Amino acid sequence: MGSLKTHSPGVYIVSFYTGYIIAGMAFLMLLPLFISLLMGEWNPALDFVISMSISLITGLSLMSFGRSRKTDSSQVDWRYGFIIAALSWIMLMFLCSVPYLLSGHTKSLLDGCFDVMSGFTTTGLVLTQDLDHLSTGLNIWRHMLTFIGGQGMVVLALSFLVKNTNGAYKIYCGEGKDIKLVPNVKGTARIIWKISLIYLLVGTLALWICGMFIGLSPLSAFYHGLNMFESAWSTGGFAPNTQNIMYYHSFAYENITIIFFILGSMNFGLHYAIWQGKKAEMFKNIEMQSFFITSFAACALAAVKLNQLGIYNDAVSIFRRVVYNVLSAHTTTGFGSIYARQFANEWGDFGILIMVIAMLIGGSACSTAGGFKGLRVGIVFKGLVSDIKKVLSPERSVRVAKYHHIKDYVLDDPTVKAAGLIIICYMALFAVTTLLGTFYGYSLADSAFEAASVSGNVGLSIGVTSASMPALMKIQYILAMYLGRLEFISVFALFGFVIGGIKRLCVRH
Amino acid sequence: MCKTLKTLPFVLVLSACLITSAAAKEEVITINDLVNDTLGYNGQTVTVEGEAIGEALERGEYSWVNISDGTNAIGIWMTKADEDTIKYYGDFKNLGDTVKVTGVFSRDCSEHGGDVDIHCSSLTIVKSGHSVISAVSQKKLIVAAVLAFFAALLAFFYRRESKKRKSSD
Repeated sequence: MGSLKTHSPGVYIVSFYTGYIIAGMAFLMLLPLFISLLMGEWNPALDFVISMSISLITGLSLMSFGRSRKTDSSQVDWRYGFIIAALSWIMLMFLCSVPYLLSGHTKSLLDGCFDVMSGFTTTGLVLTQDLDHLSTGLNIWRHMLTFIGGQGMVVLALSFLVKNTNGAYKIYCGEGKDIKLVPNVKGTARIIWKISLIYLLVGTLALWICGMFIGLSPLSAFYHGLNMFESAWSTGGFAPNTQNIMYYHSFAYENITIIFFILGSMNFGLHYAIWQGKKAEMFKNIEMQSFFITSFAACALAAVKLNQLGIYNDAVSIFRRVVYNVLSAHTTTGFGSIYARQFANEWGDFGILIMVIAMLIGGSACSTAGGFKGLRVGIVFKGLVSDIKKVLSPERSVRVAKYHHIKDYVLDDPTVKAAGLIIICYMALFAVTTLLGTFYGYSLADSAFEAASVSGNVGLSIGVTSASMPALMKIQYILAMYLGRLEFISVFALFGFVIGGIKRLCVRH
Repeated sequence: MCKTLKTLPFVLVLSACLITSAAAKEEVITINDLVNDTLGYNGQTVTVEGEAIGEALERGEYSWVNISDGTNAIGIWMTKADEDTIKYYGDFKNLGDTVKVTGVFSRDCSEHGGDVDIHCSSLTIVKSGHSVISAVSQKKLIVAAVLAFFAALLAFFYRRESKKRKSSD
């Protein structure tokens, strides 16, 4: 114990807050537990009691260790904020995969971790076997994970658990969200949840009614509506059945999901601005401009090419099979209205490339979406245009470029550089993941498609992701989802912290 | 007589072709094979066999029934009368009826907005489904009780320590 006292205060701070977040997530297991009991699913109910107890023991142990030395929450600096967010995600990945493993629907702990990370990061790729016979409780849990992951687990903990918010902003930013809707970070976190919960009511109701019209029984329509809304709004891509959105055979159902996944891919700041009556923001915002341009271009190009190839010949088919999938890719949702191998066998290289680009760009910053985000694409593009204009203008003229994102900002070099750096990180991650796929013998197109899907937290598959794929690829995909979601910095901070700790230990001994 | 003898080989060959083709139609194909070669099977009459899953989605005189054969799942468009013959649909508590469906496969169904589906022309129940009652695992029950006890104990001590700290502050 004596040696523990010599740890830096960081270890205690990280331990306490990580434990806090884990304990909070443990309590969330009460909902699937309650549903399992309600549905008379006794074994799944026991799975949740076991998982909840393990999580609670872990969380409370970390909190007890964390407060064994008196630390102040004002000591939570940027470094610790990022580390807490990154470490919480890793620990929760293991703890939340316990119900999967106990259900017998995953072949290994690794597959369970893969699915949990896929849920948390709102990716939507699945290794869980036989989804059609999954218990109601576990299915609710899968969709809850993606819903909570979309808003952010740290955001959730900050909204309802943490009393003292000194330093909380740093943990909040560590989860890839950096917008302040109101001066208080706790208030911001609460607004994010308020927006999501209001949409949850509206979206579930819309899908519930539509579900009954398309032939689902009232209870089943509610169950599907709730799960599909959570998945659409979080740009997740999970569905209660193997066929994903194809299970419903309904144009209307697909259209409702399109509305909610596009709304989910928008910045929470934009939602808040529109709710405050600033409707012009929809058209002035650089992210929305970027999204409209790139999504329209991607949909149009894919539709024209696939029509030219004779794959889809009427407008309804083109909308339901091409536009739907391209928008699902661009918003990083991952609902698929065609089978995985149809991308490879029917869409051709051009179609696949369009999908890869759309998946990498992704949705908006500070939303539930992944990818390198429309904001960064817009900033880099504007930065490029501004530089060209500078070169073409007389030397004495001073040009100030601006962009609008909730308010007007001057486009300076550090902003362009920061956006460019994150894009480079995403591209490097995409390249490494593609390389690994090709190493294991998958074609370049297949590897690139799947790599873009995991790096951009999309969830569409071309058929590479399966329980039988090599373990190293599963690990790389988990890492790619994790890095893509937390936008690198938090994970790098955690690596630095761990390596620093190891170095200190080596020096001491 | 001579004419009859001349036409006999043709009749025999034709009959053989028809029998072979009928047998080919009856050959069960996996759903994964179908969806992996949508262009090849498009418009052909195929036979698939799988478990009815979820529930039937009734659309007037017709219904959608999704079936899964373990390799993949696909939607079958069938009459309400055919759908009524299916009693069990697979979910957590039920093993669905195993059905054998013959029908026309489409990779871009013009009637259903480009759906990948099979329009059923004949359906037979190969194996009846049943409800699945799984007994409560005793091992899980014991582990759950022990872990819940330790978690509650830890929560109690943590709370007591917190109260002590607050009063000492």
